[in-house]
Amino acid sequence: MATQIDVMPSNDPFTMKDLNTEHPRWCVGCGDFGIIMGLKRFMVEKQIQPHMTVNVSGIGCSGRAPFYFNTYGIHAIHGRAITVALGLALTRPDLNIFIHSGDGDAMSIGGNHLLHGINKNFNCVFIMYDNELYSLTKGQTSPTTRKGHPTQTQPLGTMLDPLNPISFVLGAGASFAARTADWMPDHLTSTLKAAFDHKGFSFVHVSQRCPHFDPENFDHKTTNWFSFIIHEKGIPADKRVAEKVEVITHDPSNKEEAFKLANRKHAYFGLFYHDPQKPCYDELLRRQVKEAKPKPRSGILDSFKI
Amino acid sequence: MSTEKRKVVRFELLMDAGFGAQKIGDILIQAMAKTGRYVYIEPMIPAEISPPPRTRAALSGVIIRVGDFDITNIGNNTDVILAAHEIVLDRRLDDEEHNPHCHILLDIGEKKNNEESYEQVCKRVTKLGLNLYPFEITSEASLLVKSLGGKGKNMFYMGMLGCIYNASVDAIINEIKLTFGKKLEESVLEKNIQIFRYGYQFAKENITLSYEIEPTAKSDTEKILIDGNSALAMGIVDAGIKLISGYPITPATSILHTLARTLPSYGGLVHQAEDEIAAIGTAIGAYFGGVPSITCTSGPGLSLKQEFIGYATAAEVPLILVDVQRSGPSTGMATKTEQSDLGAVIFGCHGDNTKVVVSVANVIDCFYAPQFARYLAEKLRLPVFIMSDFQTANSYKVIKKLQVNEMENVDDIKDFVLERFHMNRLPDQIEMVRTSQDAPGTPGGMRRVTGLNTDASGQVNYFAGANQRSHTIRNEKVHIVRRALTAPERFGLEQGEILVVGWGSTRGAIEEAVDMCINQKLPVGGMHFRVVYPLPLMLKEIFSKYKHVVTVEAAYGDSYKPSPLATLLRAETLVDVRPMISRATGRPIRPRIILEKTKEILNGHSN
Repeated sequence: MATQIDVMPSNDPFTMKDLNTEHPRWCVGCGDFGIIMGLKRFMVEKQIQPHMTVNVSGIGCSGRAPFYFNTYGIHAIHGRAITVALGLALTRPDLNIFIHSGDGDAMSIGGNHLLHGINKNFNCVFIMYDNELYSLTKGQTSPTTRKGHPTQTQPLGTMLDPLNPISFVLGAGASFAARTADWMPDHLTSTLKAAFDHKGFSFVHVSQRCPHFDPENFDHKTTNWFSFIIHEKGIPADKRVAEKVEVITHDPSNKEEAFKLANRKHAYFGLFYHDPQKPCYDELLRRQVKEAKPKPRSGILDSFKI
Repeated sequence: MSTEKRKVVRFELLMDAGFGAQKIGDILIQAMAKTGRYVYIEPMIPAEISPPPRTRAALSGVIIRVGDFDITNIGNNTDVILAAHEIVLDRRLDDEEHNPHCHILLDIGEKKNNEESYEQVCKRVTKLGLNLYPFEITSEASLLVKSLGGKGKNMFYMGMLGCIYNASVDAIINEIKLTFGKKLEESVLEKNIQIFRYGYQFAKENITLSYEIEPTAKSDTEKILIDGNSALAMGIVDAGIKLISGYPITPATSILHTLARTLPSYGGLVHQAEDEIAAIGTAIGAYFGGVPSITCTSGPGLSLKQEFIGYATAAEVPLILVDVQRSGPSTGMATKTEQSDLGAVIFGCHGDNTKVVVSVANVIDCFYAPQFARYLAEKLRLPVFIMSDFQTANSYKVIKKLQVNEMENVDDIKDFVLERFHMNRLPDQIEMVRTSQDAPGTPGGMRRVTGLNTDASGQVNYFAGANQRSHTIRNEKVHIVRRALTAPERFGLEQGEILVVGWGSTRGAIEEAVDMCINQKLPVGGMHFRVVYPLPLMLKEIFSKYKHVVTVEAAYGDSYKPSPLATLLRAETLVDVRPMISRATGRPIRPRIILEKTKEILNGHSN
């Protein structure tokens, strides 16, 4: 993500309060609150300037996130946030871009754009809010819904194995792939920080609770179903939870190992993979302009002269 | 051999794809233009890259119209057809664009192996009453063609056509050198020129046809030879647009090609998106960031983009979209022209949607349309369409060099550009749904845009009055344009029996047809729209001056279902506007057909 931060218009540092707008229209207990709190905390900590920041989203519960940040924002159409964000990344490299996208938005209707956003590796932080369900439309099977789980559209139980987001993005060539959860604010903020510091398309997979439609999922009171992956070049374990959870070391430059971890039934939170060298399409395209021989517009028809 | 003086001629060269027919067309017309003739050229392009030779699908060629007056369209029927073999000829005769005494020069070099097929086609030619001139490439030329691996026949044909139309040999050789000089080895270039000379010599000795067109075009003014899509691409540069975002689709792609080679030198980016939807999304993102951007597509892409078009309307993000129309529905005919997207463009999105639709009639419009569209898009913060079509996109014309404006801010738009599109300057202040419209980076201007309904503050609002308010304001933006529109371009009589109306690429044919009507003292007027939506307010009054108002459209229509423009005009004016010509054949509409149909109405035979 972007590292340029504009000079503040006033000398006073801004606070969490400055980032607030209206009260979010999410259900009580929704994991989305935790995610936007984490991002706000990170923005305040790093003083990421609100007027230089654009939150971009698609459709779904997560799609509403930009409304709740006093920054610039684009609540776009279903699945296409990446395409709009790219327009900004190409032409406004001075801006900080955060994309908010749900599991249906990112991996179903927007799957093509996610694939190509990753391949283009343009500079942004992509936050996937994964509650493993379509919720704004009241509980249908999503591409990440666990097999057997009954939903409105598959009442006898979700028929297919879910897609595996981390495995998918690794396969697509992601330069940064991390996983965190809405109920671990410390880990969430550390993850966003690492994602922001990476230049390129930073994919952050966030497990997100949906107490309204799927209260059983993501049992955040027990800890035996997940582990942290840590490394000196990775993301530290969540301070509050670390003691109760298995913590293993994983070198984020090891892609083969990253795949293995991603494909296990057991869940891992932390930085799976990081390649700081992958070229960024937005930079390459701008470089073409920089390196092209400048010409005056007055001569644009000269080559058509007869 | 006596030379016949002509004001205007039309001829064609038909070959298999991949053998350089279009290249020959370019060389010929440049040579003719440089020697004071007015020219217009339309390529015939197959939809496939290399269809098998000697099949009907392989037809690739050029139609060339040369005259002693400024030519606005590809004209009527063809006087002379030069065909490389019988199959491409047979295929082309199906289009019925030859005149009754058309001269057909048929290369029978391949006859030995295809005796029966040749016989059949020759019989067809005779039956149609056309004049057949079978010929074979001379043995000296054949040897050279062989030494070039079978390429170079096109040079022989060019020699023949050059001789028949009394083009200057020196001018043509000069053009051959300019075209191939850097690409071909010296010896290969020499061989090509020699084949051309053989062709010229052969025609001189064996073909009795000879035409001369008076060189009347002023040669002291600077001229350019340009096609619609190149003019549009250069117009995009002149309009100060900094990002073009597109996905390959015929016939819009060449805009991307041209800009990929040129735009970076003018500080702009060319982005090839992963799909049509991504392409428009990226253009919207850039414009939200305050950077002028554009996306270009054709029918199938237009359908895919609809959701984002509605989004731009609702979110009040400026958007410029080029639709180079091709034949539909669905994949239709990718390399054939049609004007059937009008409904999809004006009414395509779900929900009530507001936009402005600008059309281009010729290459000059193509160059100025991006400035005009940018002006509208930024003033109104609405989607603005530039509607071109296959014919306009691909036809070349020699024109006087155009004035380059180097637009920076939209308020600098030149009066002559506004006049060209028949619109007055818009008011300085235009009300938006949201009061604040700052771009990211503006301190204190932080705001969120959305496809949801909002109130003036930009807050999502589902209350009863709020949505009606948004509709009213968005529609008022279009009404502001409606009121700023002046009377559309007119031809012929200002009142009379028949008013012939069209939009976009039919302008040239309508103008020429109305001229013919006036010459024959027929009570006919013509009208052409550049802005097709909204329509100006005085139409009903203009229509009342004629007994019949009829449209000419390259789009389907019949007695139950009027063609798109006729439908629109009927709805807007309650005048009984009928489609006089509603042909979706994929071929341009010819002036003479307009004349004939007009006469039929005057004689009470139809409508």
